[in-house]
Amino acid sequence: MSWWFGGPLSEQGELFWSLSPGWILPAALSVLIAAAWSLRREGPLRLVEAACWSLALLTALIGVADPVWHEAEGRTEPGRTVVLVDSSRSMGIEAQGLSRGEAAMRAVSSLGPGVDIYSFGTTIKPGPPSAWDDAGTDIGGALEAVADRYLGQQLRSVVLLTDGIDRGGLRTDDAGSLSSRVPSLPGPLTVVQVGEALGGVDHAVTDIRTGGFAFLRTPFALTAVVEGQPGHELPVTLRREGRLVDTQRTTLDGDGRAEVRFEVIPNAVGRFVWEVSIPDEVADTIPGNNSHAVVVRVVRDRTRVLQVCGSPSYDQKFLRLFLKEDPSVDLVSFFILRTHDDFAAGWSPQELSLIAFPYERLFTEQLETFDVVIFQNFDFKPYFERDPNGLLSNIVRFVRDGGAFVMVGGDRSFDLGEYADTPIAGILPVRLGVGATAVTDAPFKPSLAEGGHQHPVTRIAGSLEDSALAWSRLPELDGMNRNRGLVEGAAALLEHPNVTTEGRPMPVLSVREVGEGRTMALMTDASWRWSFSEAGTGRGNQSYLRFWKGALRWLVADPDDRRMVAQPSADNVLLGESMRIKTVVRDAGFNPVPGARITGMVAAPDGAEVAIEGVTDEMGVAVSTITPQVQGAHRVRLVSEDRGAAETVFSVVTRDPELAEVSPDEAFLKRLAQAYGAQGAIRLPGEAINPLVDDSAERVVDEQRTVALSSMPVMALIMGLFAGLAWWIRRRHGGR
Amino acid sequence: MPPDLTRRHLLGLGAGLLCPRVALGFGTASRFHVAEIDLGAHSLHRPQAWKRMLHEIIQATSIEADPKVVRVRPSDPNLFEHPFAVLVGRKALPPLEDEAVHQLRRYLAYGGTLFIDDASGSGKGGFADSVRELSRRIFPTRPLSPLPGDHAIYRSFFLLERPVGRTQGNGTLEGVQVGPTAPLIFCPCDLSGALDRSMDGRNTTPLAGGEMQRREAVKLSINLALYSLTSNYKHDIAHEVELMREGRIE
Repeated sequence: MSWWFGGPLSEQGELFWSLSPGWILPAALSVLIAAAWSLRREGPLRLVEAACWSLALLTALIGVADPVWHEAEGRTEPGRTVVLVDSSRSMGIEAQGLSRGEAAMRAVSSLGPGVDIYSFGTTIKPGPPSAWDDAGTDIGGALEAVADRYLGQQLRSVVLLTDGIDRGGLRTDDAGSLSSRVPSLPGPLTVVQVGEALGGVDHAVTDIRTGGFAFLRTPFALTAVVEGQPGHELPVTLRREGRLVDTQRTTLDGDGRAEVRFEVIPNAVGRFVWEVSIPDEVADTIPGNNSHAVVVRVVRDRTRVLQVCGSPSYDQKFLRLFLKEDPSVDLVSFFILRTHDDFAAGWSPQELSLIAFPYERLFTEQLETFDVVIFQNFDFKPYFERDPNGLLSNIVRFVRDGGAFVMVGGDRSFDLGEYADTPIAGILPVRLGVGATAVTDAPFKPSLAEGGHQHPVTRIAGSLEDSALAWSRLPELDGMNRNRGLVEGAAALLEHPNVTTEGRPMPVLSVREVGEGRTMALMTDASWRWSFSEAGTGRGNQSYLRFWKGALRWLVADPDDRRMVAQPSADNVLLGESMRIKTVVRDAGFNPVPGARITGMVAAPDGAEVAIEGVTDEMGVAVSTITPQVQGAHRVRLVSEDRGAAETVFSVVTRDPELAEVSPDEAFLKRLAQAYGAQGAIRLPGEAINPLVDDSAERVVDEQRTVALSSMPVMALIMGLFAGLAWWIRRRHGGR
Repeated sequence: MPPDLTRRHLLGLGAGLLCPRVALGFGTASRFHVAEIDLGAHSLHRPQAWKRMLHEIIQATSIEADPKVVRVRPSDPNLFEHPFAVLVGRKALPPLEDEAVHQLRRYLAYGGTLFIDDASGSGKGGFADSVRELSRRIFPTRPLSPLPGDHAIYRSFFLLERPVGRTQGNGTLEGVQVGPTAPLIFCPCDLSGALDRSMDGRNTTPLAGGEMQRREAVKLSINLALYSLTSNYKHDIAHEVELMREGRIE
């Protein structure tokens, strides 16, 4: 019977019409027209025929109006089972060829169909985990999410599969306080521990605390945090740039933790990789976390200057005054107050306050403690009695390794100091060997050389114009040491306005980069006039101070202030973060070099290399971006044709907490299950999951049913019946 | 040695014998020399005393000195061509014009040294009072005070216990300390009187302590020059440690 109505229709249903009310009037009119049409016929049963036609047409119109019978009802089903699967990185740890995550999913499959699966790490997502890569584990947050999502419902069971290495803060609570912190769940909780202690203990260097930077030649501490088996003793080694610095033995405390403090004194400025490691032991479950590298930037707090002067003079006086009063300079001076020639004056040594010139100590063991060595009108021969070439070679090596050397003019300097055939000649910016005409004594005012306009040494005012004006106003110098012009790669900053060498103006002030270090040659002993004589004009001595400040800054420049520099956007980055490598290229005059092609590599600690290339813009800057894929120190090596090379280093320092601790926290998981009392249970590895269930849990499912009445067979039957009857009457009584 | 012959001349001479065209000088302007502050009749002109000092410096030290003495007014801009200046007087000085005081302040602030010598040899009286007043005007906030016995001026070349000139004054030098150096030094013991010579080279003034006293005066003058060039160099830790190690200072 219900077939005739398109299905069973309950009394709780409602009728809906699809046709808008605007169709009622045309429908009524069409019925009337049909009735009127049938009444045109003469004869009996005319009214019956009209009525049949009208009913048939009315039925058709009802069908066109698409009436719908809508029924809504609630249906009760048994409660659902919700499964939470830990998707953090620790679940990727394998044992016997099977990761914890895979073991968890096997367990899930044993629960059969009809379970709601969620993966969780720091957040919760519907569906099983696609990878074990979440950076954290927040069990409390996952349980809260379940409680919220199924609020008002009853769950048959909640199953939590995890190794229990929770980073959400629950693990510090005991069972009592845990019960007040965990959310009330809509069903009983079964905690399933995934993974078990792997038969060994993981020892790891979990952190290095450094403070971020260190000062040159000032002790600083690196504190390494080592974790592992309580009571275990192990050696902890510190390396800088791969070279052994120190090893200490430590014993892990009752919590399996120890802090090892290394105190080191950095002896160079720049970025350096410091790595703390512990040995790989057989029982160590994850050897990969046995070392930890950080980059510490070493900066200079004070510039340590050695000023050696062959004769007290005004030039020496004013340079010392500047150096002594500059709080950023730590000055050590040695002035030759008396020469062998002066012994004839007859003064007893006991009357004098003079001390021996400790030249051997200065230029051997102490040389590396200085940033800048200044030879101011100093002739080495009378004083370097033992191994003069060896001592001068030490200075050359000091410069090549990053130190700075300045020679200031006078009648004991350059050729007059007989440096022409010494190792020192090889690092000076100018060529010596002028022979007979060692000096010119005519007063002159030096002019800015082409390379001097922008160079930080000679930039003594804010703008280029002001700087050039300041130089043009400075007093004349009394003369200069001659030279044979620049060596290749050096730059002249000041030059003589008239005296030339090899067709070019003779350099008065010149600079040069030698290896990692820098040198400067000031071919006069009258720079004091830029201070004192200038002050006499009422303009003060700022030009002199700025000149020497600029010179010192340039001379001791950090590796970040060289002509070609590679700078990472940070010393230490997190895994997955991108790193920008900025490369700056400048010429000898420190002018930006646009269009310089940069090529190079970023070498990761696992040996993988990423190529870098770029072209500098108008500011001489090229930027490359990479995203390191592994933890540890990454070395960047770049070259630019004809412009030099640059190196830098950065470290990916993310200490992955998910891998720092790998043993499942069984105790916590037990406490968690206990926190739910009778509604909680723990299942350890090897045990069947057999989850706690609430058989009384049920849920109401809303169901809706819609029946299109226009498609009911009874509608077609009625319409056919009335139309056929009307037709039969009409034909029977002579109608057409 | 001729009075005006310097080391640089000797070097030039030596080199000249080998190679006549060698020029070793940078001119003489940057060599150590003395400028006498000229206050007319109120200041004393003792060029021979200072030349003697310069010659002693040339003979005893490595300083390249030019044994010349120039006279310059305190308000003369050329004062800044001469980083070492002396003022000698016996009687009270007239108050200097503000312009001169201002320039002296600038001169001393930017590195010049002014040595004031009391020719009365007493450190008291009109000249000393006027020097204190001048010092007050130049350094309103820094008093002219006795320099301590371990001051660098007493050990800049010779180890001295006290200043000695024509007299022994009150036994101490006074100075105005600005940072690490004392740019203004007042000597109460007539140093220039002990050094002064006549044109024929003979000492102008006999000393109570004889030539030994004059020797001490020469040592003070050399220390004075060294101090003006090296300031507190002898207080650098390297020197103090070594001198203490040798037992020459305490």
